[in-house]
Amino acid sequence: MSSIGTGYDLSSTTYSPDGRVFQVEYASKAVDNSGTAVGIRVSDGVVFGVEKLLISPMLLHGSNRRVSTIGRHIGVASSGLVADARALINRGNQEANAWKSTYGEEISVKVLTERLASFAQVYTLYGGVRPFGCALLLGSWTEAAGPQLYMIQPSGEAYGYFGVAVGKGKAACKTDIEKLDLESMTCEEAVVEIAKMIHSVHDSDKDKEYELELSWVCRASGGRHQLVPAELRDSALAIATAESSDDDSSSDDD
Amino acid sequence: MEYPELKKGEVDLGTSIMGVAFDGGVVIGADSRTTTGSYIANRVSDKLTQLADNIYCCRSGSAADTQAVAEYVKFHLAMHKEEIGGEPKVSVAARVVGSMVYNNKDSLMAGIIIAGWDEVDGGSVHIVPLGGGVVKMPFAIGGSGSTYIYGWVDDNYKEGMTRDECIEFVRNGLALAMARDGSSGGLIRMAVIDKDGVERMMIPGNELPRFFDK
Amino acid sequence: MASMNDVVQSLKPAGGFEFDLCARNNMLKQMGLKAPKATSTGTTIVGLVYKDGVVLGADTRATGDTTVEDKNCEKIHYIAPNVYCCGAGTAADTENTTALISSQLELHRLATGRHSRVVTALTLLKRMLFRYQGHVSAALVLGGVDLNGPHLYTIYPHGSTDELPYVTMGSGSLAAMGVFEAGWKENMSEDEAVDLVAAAIRAGIFNDLGSGSNVDVTIIRGVDDVEVRRGYQILNPRPYARVRPNDLTRGTTTILSETRTPIHAGHVEYTNEDAVDMETSPVESGGPSSS
Repeated sequence: MSSIGTGYDLSSTTYSPDGRVFQVEYASKAVDNSGTAVGIRVSDGVVFGVEKLLISPMLLHGSNRRVSTIGRHIGVASSGLVADARALINRGNQEANAWKSTYGEEISVKVLTERLASFAQVYTLYGGVRPFGCALLLGSWTEAAGPQLYMIQPSGEAYGYFGVAVGKGKAACKTDIEKLDLESMTCEEAVVEIAKMIHSVHDSDKDKEYELELSWVCRASGGRHQLVPAELRDSALAIATAESSDDDSSSDDD
Repeated sequence: MEYPELKKGEVDLGTSIMGVAFDGGVVIGADSRTTTGSYIANRVSDKLTQLADNIYCCRSGSAADTQAVAEYVKFHLAMHKEEIGGEPKVSVAARVVGSMVYNNKDSLMAGIIIAGWDEVDGGSVHIVPLGGGVVKMPFAIGGSGSTYIYGWVDDNYKEGMTRDECIEFVRNGLALAMARDGSSGGLIRMAVIDKDGVERMMIPGNELPRFFDK
Repeated sequence: MASMNDVVQSLKPAGGFEFDLCARNNMLKQMGLKAPKATSTGTTIVGLVYKDGVVLGADTRATGDTTVEDKNCEKIHYIAPNVYCCGAGTAADTENTTALISSQLELHRLATGRHSRVVTALTLLKRMLFRYQGHVSAALVLGGVDLNGPHLYTIYPHGSTDELPYVTMGSGSLAAMGVFEAGWKENMSEDEAVDLVAAAIRAGIFNDLGSGSNVDVTIIRGVDDVEVRRGYQILNPRPYARVRPNDLTRGTTTILSETRTPIHAGHVEYTNEDAVDMETSPVESGGPSSS
C-alpha cells in the first residue's frame, strides 16, 4: 500500500496530499475482510442474511449473533469488527429510546440511520479516536412507509438500497441481487435466495465453519424484526446446499 | 406538591376553549378575553396559536406561560419537521407540549388543547391539563369557562358530526360558557384544520348566539 | 471527603439572582419593619397606530411610595432608530431592560446590516421578562415601524404580550383606555393620532394619583423619520416664578476680618523637557512588531 510509511495514515486528523483519509479506508478494509452480510428489500419486507464465521467449534450454536434489533421494529445486520458494531447498535438503542420518550412513537429507520451515520462520522474527525470498523445494514417495514433498507459505512456515509451486500463475498452477492425481481418477490422467496447467495460465496477452503443467520422484518411479522422461523431457515439452507452440490458434481463431469 | 397559581399581577387567560374532531379535520375555538385581575387587558385576544402548518393549540392559564410553551414547541416541531422530512403528527406535538408542562409543573400554569390534522390520524384533539398529562379525545373543552358547559357538551356531542355541525357545536358551546363565566367573553375565534390547510373564522361579540335570553 | 477545592467551589457565587435573603426580609416584615419602596413610575403610558406610523405617549411623574421623586422624568425609551418603548413599573427595571435590549439590537444590526424589526425587540424583551418570572418589574408599550409596517405591542412583567391597534399601560391605563375607546378610529391622520394620545395621557395625569406633570410624545413615521417631542404639553407649570436675587455685586457682604493660611502641598514641578511627539504616521508594514 502506497500510504504506508508516508505518515498520512497514522491519524484521521490529517488528509493525505491527494485528499484521502487513510484511517477511514483502513476501517473499510476491516469490513471487507469480514463474513458476508446481505440485505434485500422486497415487496412485503426486508430480509437479512449473515455468514457468521465461527472462530471455534466450541461456540454455542446461535450465540454471538450478528443480526440484532433496535427497538423492536428495526433489524440490523452487521459486518466488520463485532465489538465496534455492538457499540454502534448500543447507541442506536439509546437514540430509539430517546425518540420514543420524546415523541411517543417509534423512531423511523431513516432518522435512525441519519443519526447513527452522523455519530459514526464524528469518529473520522478527531485524534485519539478511530473510525468504526463496521458497516450496519438497517431495515424496517411499516404500513405507511413499506419496506426500507439502509447501510451505514465506517466513513459515516449512509444510503438507502433495494439490496445491499458487504464483507468478503459482496461482489458475488451484488451480482446475484441484481438478477432478482425485487418488486414482485416476497420475503419467503428472498430467504431462499439469500441462503443460496451466502452459501455460494462462503469459501470453505479459507474459512472453516460458518453459521447462516437469517432474519426479517415484514408484514407477516407485524413490522417486528425477528429471526426467520427455524423450519423455513432449514429448508432454505437445504435448497442452498443441494444446489451447490449439483454445481460441484456438474463441474466434476468436465 | 401544590399546583402553581397565578402570581400577583400576572396576566390570565381566564378562558373558554374547545376542540372537536370530525372525519377529515378538526374545529377549534376560543373566546377573546385576557384579564389582569378585574381589568380586561385585551378584549380581542387570539388564543389559537399555530404550532406547525397543520397543528394549532388553544391556550388557557397564564398568558406568559402558555405563550412561552407555544414558542418552545413551535421551535421544537420546526426542527422535528426537518429531521423527519415531513409534517409533524398532532400526537407528537401533544406529547412535546405534555412533557414540557409535566417537567415544569411547579412553575407553569397552563392548560392547553392541541388539535390538528395529519396523514396518519386525520383530524385529532389532545388535551394537556395542569399537571402535564396527555389525553387524546374526540373533543375537548378547557379554561375557566368550560366548567359551565360540561353537561351541555355531553348532552349535545354526537359521534360522526360533520364539519359544519362541529362549527355549530363549538360556537354554541363557547357562547354558553362566555355568557356564564365572567373571565371569558368578547368575541369567538375559530379555526378549521384539514388536509387542505387552515381556515380562520371570527364571530363578533354582538353576533354571538343567544339562548334563553333571546 | 470534600477536598479543599470542593469547598472553594461551593463558596463561589453562582450566576443570576439570589433569593436567600427573602426569608430574612419576610421575617423582618412580619416583625413590623417597613421595607423601603423602589422608585416606581406609577404611570400613564399609551401607544396608538395611525395611518402611516405609531405614536407613543407618556406622563413624566416618578414616585417613591407617595412622594413625587421626579417631576419631569423620561418614560419613552430609545430601543432602535425605528423602535421606541414606554415603560411602567420600577423605574430602574424599565430603564435597564430597555437599555439592555437596545444594546443587543444595535449589535444585531451591526452583525446583519439590516434595520431592526419590532418583533425582534418584542421577542428579546418577552424572553428576558419571562426568564425572570415577573421579578423584573417592567410593563412596556413597544412601538415602531419596520419593513412590515407599523407595529404596536404591550409586554407584561411576566413576559406575556399582546398586539393591538391602541394600547395603554400603568396605573393610569384605565383612564387613558377610556379616552381611546371613545375616540379611536381606523386610519387616523397624524394630527388626530397625536391629539388623541395627548388626551389619553392627560386623562391619566389629571385622574390618576400615580401620574402627573407633562405629556411626552414620540412619533415614529418610518425607519428614518422619528420625532421625539419631549414636553409636548407642559400641563403643570410652576404657579409662580422663583425669585432669585441676581444683582449682588462684589462687596455686598462686608468682610469683618481676614486670616490667610498657606497650604503646604510639597514640591511639585511641571516640565516638558522629555516630551516626544506622538507617532501619528501610518506604520509601514502593519502590526505592532514592525519596529
